Amino acid sequence: MDDQWAFFLRILPELWEGLKMSMYLSVGALSLGLVIGLPLALVKTYGHGVLRFVVTAYIEVVRGTPMVVQLFMVYFGLPELGIVIDRVPAAIIALAVNSSAYQAEYFRGAILSVSEGQYAAGRAIGMSQGQAVLHIILPQALRIVIPPWSNEMVYMVKYTSIAFLIAVPELMAQGQVIITRTFRPMETLFWVGLLYVIVLAILSQIVDWIETRVRIPGYQSDRRG
Amino acid sequence: MSIFDDRAAEVLQSLPYLLQGLGVTISVTLLALLLGGLIGLMGALARVYGAAPLRAAAAAYSRTIRSLPLLVILFFLYFLGSDIYEMSVFTSMVLALGIHTSAYQEGIFRAGIQSIERGQSEAAAAIGMTPFQNFFTIVLPQALRRCIPYWGNEAAIVLKDSSLAYVLGLTELMRRGQYVISRTHQAFLTYLIIGLIYLILTLVLTRGLSYMEKRVKIPG
Amino acid sequence: MTKSIVSIRNLHKSYGKVPVLNDFSLDVYPNEVVVVIGPSGTGKSTLLRCINYLTPFDSGEIHLDGQKIDPRKTNLNHVRQQIGMVFQDFNLFNHMSAFHNVAVGLVKVKRVNRGEARSRALDELERVGMLQYKDQYPAELSGGQKQRVAIARALAMNPKIMLFDEPTSALDPELIEEVLAVMKSLAAAGMTMVVVSHEMSFAREAADRIVFMDQGAIAEMGSPSELFANPHKERTRQFLSKLGYRENERKDESDG
Ligand SMILES: Nc1ncnc2c1ncn2[C@@H]1O[C@H](COP(=O)(O)OP(=O)(O)OP(=O)(O)O)[C@@H](O)[C@H]1O
Ligand SMILES: [Mg+2]
Repeated sequence: MDDQWAFFLRILPELWEGLKMSMYLSVGALSLGLVIGLPLALVKTYGHGVLRFVVTAYIEVVRGTPMVVQLFMVYFGLPELGIVIDRVPAAIIALAVNSSAYQAEYFRGAILSVSEGQYAAGRAIGMSQGQAVLHIILPQALRIVIPPWSNEMVYMVKYTSIAFLIAVPELMAQGQVIITRTFRPMETLFWVGLLYVIVLAILSQIVDWIETRVRIPGYQSDRRG
Repeated sequence: MSIFDDRAAEVLQSLPYLLQGLGVTISVTLLALLLGGLIGLMGALARVYGAAPLRAAAAAYSRTIRSLPLLVILFFLYFLGSDIYEMSVFTSMVLALGIHTSAYQEGIFRAGIQSIERGQSEAAAAIGMTPFQNFFTIVLPQALRRCIPYWGNEAAIVLKDSSLAYVLGLTELMRRGQYVISRTHQAFLTYLIIGLIYLILTLVLTRGLSYMEKRVKIPG
Repeated sequence: MTKSIVSIRNLHKSYGKVPVLNDFSLDVYPNEVVVVIGPSGTGKSTLLRCINYLTPFDSGEIHLDGQKIDPRKTNLNHVRQQIGMVFQDFNLFNHMSAFHNVAVGLVKVKRVNRGEARSRALDELERVGMLQYKDQYPAELSGGQKQRVAIARALAMNPKIMLFDEPTSALDPELIEEVLAVMKSLAAAGMTMVVVSHEMSFAREAADRIVFMDQGAIAEMGSPSELFANPHKERTRQFLSKLGYRENERKDESDG
């Protein structure tokens, strides 16, 4: 047991570096995914014609293909078209593209769940369509979206681990480095896994706290399992 | 721009070779879904009907697995398997993917079971059904119907995640793609084709399930 | 004295600290129709649910057909087969046609062979006038039709006694009569019944005894003519006048 603990302390600095990289990837992918995903949701909900079709197709294609394929497309495929991107930004872009499609669907779901009457009431006091969406629908939808968005966050933090496949030194990759050096795979993976569990527990707590802070008094958001 | 040189034709010629990987992809997916479904259903039963300690254990299992990246579970089982006895990488992958999806399927089944009104199982108890008959003839058939769309999403995720099997050297779609790339140096086109194949698979899967959903829909 | 079909003895039941049934005792005899009335929240539903052990109680005994039910020794599923129950909100099995709702108990619980289950299920549906709707699913039936199927489902188990918990209170007024008609014909055919209902027409026509329940116990009991014409307790009088008022109100509506 002492031995295990000593081993953990010995590998902790390396894992810590990996964890920081994982967090960097997660924050990058989630925020970029948000920046892309929210407009997509608006177009898919309120748009029409070609634009709406393109957005819908984008969402379906991204959600219908594996994240690894998207990652390899960006990192190995794009250079053939003359677009060369470094590992870390490549990972962030691929993860963000993936996340944007899911976030778009979550936002759309939230927007649709704000009742029709809210929008009508906004228009009735003379707001334009844009104003009604911006001032009436979105403030409510952004609260409703928190629980599914929190799932997406957990999902992203976990899936940053695939960046290890293009040798980004995140937590999983650091673990692999340690395994090849020490030949102690089980212990290493145990500690790696534990770090993920702890980080995600903390992040979920924070999101829960935010959710309670911004909750509209007397208005319950229903949370699935 | 090198998409349309001779080597591009070579990639297209490799299509049959790529498609041979489908068998592995599909069997890994189906077996993992089955395993995850069984564990998930038992977990859901434990969390809905179990005594407090069992409930807590099942909840802890789900929460932990949901926090672990598939790759961590995969490598852990891979090393565990090679440590203890000669477990094939195929088995490691099915186990890892199955355990990973079990936590999510547990949530889906639990929500489905809990969505069935209490009156249904009360009425079944009132005509003398045992808890076992009650669950399997009254609650589960209704719960499963309500689960289909969510289960379909999960099945698509498992299908896509099965692509990670390539890291263990399993010659499914992704791994075959890499062989094609090392021969043709056409990563973009190859991944485009692989992406398309997955897209078609997920479409077939989700369309198939929504067809099934309509077929088993309760009239009225 | 004849042997009772169901004998409820000194039943106590509380939710937390709130007593719901307070030393409740009642004997129900063969072919008898007992109508239970009483204010909301007084424990009528709880009483019915204790009789077939859907709700566990704190103390007291239930005897079925002269035999004491001991939940640790008796198979409760076997007990429940002999006690039919009809719920306020029907609780038909949503994923089964009317026919399967009635047949499922025969097949799964009684393990009757399919052919016999089929003919018995059809008989029961006919008895409640629902034969022509046998292939409809619950969502395709009106409330009154659902409740008739629910009655057929309970009857199919060939119970010794039927419990009805406000079987018509979830129904639109124009559908109440079709369910009451089925219940009246059951009573006329000699079925032993305990009915929680505030339908005075049913109580007057079909009841042998009215039980006025208040705060988890029997406040007053008697034949319909005695109790309605001449209630002894002020509490009963008040309650009945309230009911009468409601009944008149509904008559006014349907007249207008
Ligand atoms: N599962 C439960 N948990 C806690 N309290 C309950 C539960 N079920 C019933 N009660 C309480 O027990 C009391 C009796 O309820 P019950 O449903 O038996 O009344 P009732 O006479 O059938 O009323 P009603 O005419 O409204 O149907 C009520 O105060 C009710 O709030
Ligand atoms: Mg009641």
